[in-house]
Amino acid sequence: MNKDHEPRIVAFLCKWCSSAGSDMAGVSRLEYPPNVIPITVMCSGSVSPIYILSAFNLGADGVLVSGCHPGDCHYIKGNMYARRRMALLKELLPYLGLEPERFQMSWVSAAEGVKFTQIIKDFVAQLKPLGPQTYLRRSL
Amino acid sequence: MVKISDVRQEAKRLLEKGKVRGVVGYVPGTRGGWAIPYLIQEAERAEQLVWDPTCVHNLALFVVEEKKEQAKQKEPDKRPLAVMVKGCDSRAINVLLQEKFINREEVVLLGVSCENSGVVDRRKITHLLHGQQAGEIRFGDNGNIVVVVNSERRIFDPQEVLADRCLECQYNFPVVFDYFYGEKIKKTPPAPYAQVEKLESFSLEKRRQFWEEEMARCLRCYACRSVCPMCYCAECVVDPISFAVEPTTTAEEKAKKIKWIEKSPLLSENFVYHLVRAIHLAGRCVDCGECERVCPEGISIRLLNKKLEREALRLFNYVAGTDSQAPSLLSTFQETDPEDFIW
Amino acid sequence: MRKKIGVFVCHCGINIAGTVDVKTVAKELSQYPGIEYAVDYVYMCSDPGQNMIIEKIMEKKLDGVVVACCSPNLHESTFRRAAQSAGLNPFECEIANIREQCSWVHKDKEKATEKAIKITEGVVEKIRWNERLQPIKVPVTKRALIIGGGIAGIQTALDLANSDIEVVLVEKNPSIGGHMIQLSETFPTLDCSQCILTPKMVEVSKHPKVKLYTYSEVQEVSGYVGNFQAKILQKPRYVDPDKCTLCDECSQVCPVVVPNEFDLGLTGRKAVYIPFPQAIPATYTLDIEACPGVLPIACGKCWDVCEPKAINFDMQPEVIEEKVGAVVVATGYDLYDKKNMAEYGYGKYPDVLDGLQFERLLSASGPTRGKILRPSDHMEPKEIVFIQCAGSRDPELHNKYCSRICCMYTAKHAKLYKHHVHDGQAYVFYIDIRAGGKGYEEFVNRSMEEEGVLYLRGKVSKVFEENGKLVVWGVDTLAGQDIEIRADMVVLAMAIRPSSGAEKLAKLLKVAQDSDGFFAEAHPKLRPVESLTAGVFLAGVAQAPKDIPDTVSQAGGAAIKVVSILSQPELLHSPLVARVNKSLCTGCGMCVEVCPFSAISLHEDKAEVNEVLCEGCGTCAATCLRAAIEVKNLTHLQIYDMLGVYLGGLR
Repeated sequence: MNKDHEPRIVAFLCKWCSSAGSDMAGVSRLEYPPNVIPITVMCSGSVSPIYILSAFNLGADGVLVSGCHPGDCHYIKGNMYARRRMALLKELLPYLGLEPERFQMSWVSAAEGVKFTQIIKDFVAQLKPLGPQTYLRRSL
Repeated sequence: MVKISDVRQEAKRLLEKGKVRGVVGYVPGTRGGWAIPYLIQEAERAEQLVWDPTCVHNLALFVVEEKKEQAKQKEPDKRPLAVMVKGCDSRAINVLLQEKFINREEVVLLGVSCENSGVVDRRKITHLLHGQQAGEIRFGDNGNIVVVVNSERRIFDPQEVLADRCLECQYNFPVVFDYFYGEKIKKTPPAPYAQVEKLESFSLEKRRQFWEEEMARCLRCYACRSVCPMCYCAECVVDPISFAVEPTTTAEEKAKKIKWIEKSPLLSENFVYHLVRAIHLAGRCVDCGECERVCPEGISIRLLNKKLEREALRLFNYVAGTDSQAPSLLSTFQETDPEDFIW
Repeated sequence: MRKKIGVFVCHCGINIAGTVDVKTVAKELSQYPGIEYAVDYVYMCSDPGQNMIIEKIMEKKLDGVVVACCSPNLHESTFRRAAQSAGLNPFECEIANIREQCSWVHKDKEKATEKAIKITEGVVEKIRWNERLQPIKVPVTKRALIIGGGIAGIQTALDLANSDIEVVLVEKNPSIGGHMIQLSETFPTLDCSQCILTPKMVEVSKHPKVKLYTYSEVQEVSGYVGNFQAKILQKPRYVDPDKCTLCDECSQVCPVVVPNEFDLGLTGRKAVYIPFPQAIPATYTLDIEACPGVLPIACGKCWDVCEPKAINFDMQPEVIEEKVGAVVVATGYDLYDKKNMAEYGYGKYPDVLDGLQFERLLSASGPTRGKILRPSDHMEPKEIVFIQCAGSRDPELHNKYCSRICCMYTAKHAKLYKHHVHDGQAYVFYIDIRAGGKGYEEFVNRSMEEEGVLYLRGKVSKVFEENGKLVVWGVDTLAGQDIEIRADMVVLAMAIRPSSGAEKLAKLLKVAQDSDGFFAEAHPKLRPVESLTAGVFLAGVAQAPKDIPDTVSQAGGAAIKVVSILSQPELLHSPLVARVNKSLCTGCGMCVEVCPFSAISLHEDKAEVNEVLCEGCGTCAATCLRAAIEVKNLTHLQIYDMLGVYLGGLR
């Protein structure tokens, strides 16, 4: 397995908390690995499981979904629905043999630039030893 | 014991009085005594109805099909449809009610008990009879199954012949019905999730091997989807071939259709298809097991659905098809839902 | 037709260019399919930068602009305005965030450049499918509904009415005035509560712009910001206010006596009564719960003596519909329930009072005409114990929050007690003294120093009766010793709770409550008077415990928030809302269930979005199994295409 592989991560960030939190990381000039490409969505509740499956299918090595902390959702409770959906996906993927480390959910508030940075660092660190994700990746 | 004569009599009465536009039930099949589903519209044919362990089909599917058929008609017959329902069929009906696909007034439910037993697995019977044709298969005492082969009566323990889904079933009598036949004997399967747990006990590598072997066989014939009463969508989001392309469909509309997965049965695409299907059935699948029964490749589809069924129960205390008034598993939440998996 | 897209890459001085090779980004993008033009520039947000974008839009006939720069929170509106001035729709301009999410957080120039290219390409793919959308225009009803007729509601009503906005003020009790009218004197200035409130009560009742419904409750509110419909249930008073001359004859003959709510049960009142002499509206009310029967045969004594024939047993409950553009919740508080305070003998011993009862004792119009007397034997208490935080700041047993007003009113109570009973001794048990308002600290200090009130830091464990005295067991944590005081009277600074109808009201207004049951503000700092439901505002204790000055300030704040909505000819709502594909919708209603804003409903078995209520969160889109509902300009297709670009362009 290629241990030097640079994991490719897609991060679905809610606009109000987690994307703002990643902005905060930027404003604070906190450094983290460039392996993550963010997709800003309105709410973690808008992230369909099919997005995540599709990301793996298109070759993502890891997928992160990040929303507001419980009680902080800009849309009151979108993150609560996300939490349920993602809990099922988090159970299902390893059951099929995908490494559990490849899919992660987090709560990051607009103020938590440091937490966001740490999450990306940890996520990259736990993905690196796994090498490329080929299991669900489309190979034509 | 279900007295089939009672079911026939009620079906006949409903048809004679014009209370229903038809009765969906089981009638004897042409081959080896295996029942087939049938839409009875003439009162006199109600006599043909049967109830035995070969009544494997989930008749909720026919409610779905009929509903779709009606939608196409200009002046559809608005009378309800009577349906024979077993435990799992009735729970499927509940999900259809919950999702407002049908209204309660549209169906008259003739609930039948599975007699502390269940329906048989054709593969198991064939194996046990070494290829001999069964003349008749019926419920025996204490959940046993009686199989008549060449006029010889053989009694099988349910463990030997019942479909796996029935051995793991906890709802072997209808939860919603208008008429009920037989006895309500609450069955508590010793280990409803034993198969799931066994797979979970494997190493990640072994699980991956197992599923790769399963998924590699998928032909993407979509029989699993066709037989599923919950797969009633007009277009399946994961499958580009179900897109309705009409003469009026513009190039832009076609371009806007997302091919979440490729048509060809590549391993990766098969995985994504089955994963999406499993997620879309979370909190909706009632484990009638039809998908697995009809799969020409014998893929363990139930093992996927069963996993999410168990998680719905374990994490959210949710059981599909038991309450048509409650919100669906994924359209509700509790403040206390687990979140230890979240960073 | 394929869009002609221009890409504008900003250096942001060295903020971006220091880590991202902006020239390469522009060059790569210029070769990306469908890109008409790509360029980099030192400061895109500067006037020359903006002018360049405008010129290029016109010159190259661009119908899509991607600006790769800082976070959209900063300059999205800047660049959208620029694009608009060149004739584009605002949604034909999108931001690719390559500063906060890229150049500022990475050091490796090659990798950062690669990432910036990907981010920009993704946004290019997104903008391809963006629709030209116009803000949704919503007409506005220039009237406001205010729920609650205490000081918060009265102040909001007056501020609005004086801004020429029609107000519907609803109060559930027979009179407006709320708790403030029950108070004796107010801290820290000791001015008489009734004296400062009654002029406002009169003003609000006489104001031509105010429609007052007392003895009424809001039953139902539908609609959305700018266009609410409220159903108000007016309970029958069985007394015609226009005919009633306040002669009091009815009350004199009424045989029924029930506890008087206004005096918190320290006195009784008749079934037909006026809550207090200055009540507004000035009329008697017949309490049908207490009255032996509206049938004249059951009693009817009041009817017999009423000269102006104001008593009318045939009055029926009436439901009135009012159209309003905004709602202010000013429902105030109730005291923490007696039954929760058994350890202090509250509700068991008549001489253990709560703060409001003590206010009534102090009040010149109260049960004792302003004399401090024990309810049990009408003796003057010579030793009195005040217990602060009774039910507050006690997460284990009671409420976890601080009720905020108790420190101050206890200091006031102790001071006023000393003014009445010069030779008496007052003790105050406290956890901390919180006297954060203007002149508050000085007020408390005066109570301690000038009046000789004895402040004991510690909690009281038990209050019990012995030989006609109330024995108070407590601890002085500063002296480190147990204390026993044999008091004549105990006054509990009871916690305040959201008023009893708050939960029901929150549901019908679809406004969130916090974990303590107070109405939740949209943001604890920046939006403290708004609820999360557009067009619904909060004033007073309904939102959180606060004193009169803070309540009045918040009421004024709520009023100006209402004005800011109602002063517009029409409201503009973001067009980024959900849209239903009816041919895919099966009418399962899951989107209806998850929508946090109740913006979706089912019509003829299909989901339908009320675009004004929809906030575009997309929870419906992720819930729908059939992809039959999506948020405009952030569709599944757009996400899919972005994924495709980010992960290798497989589409």
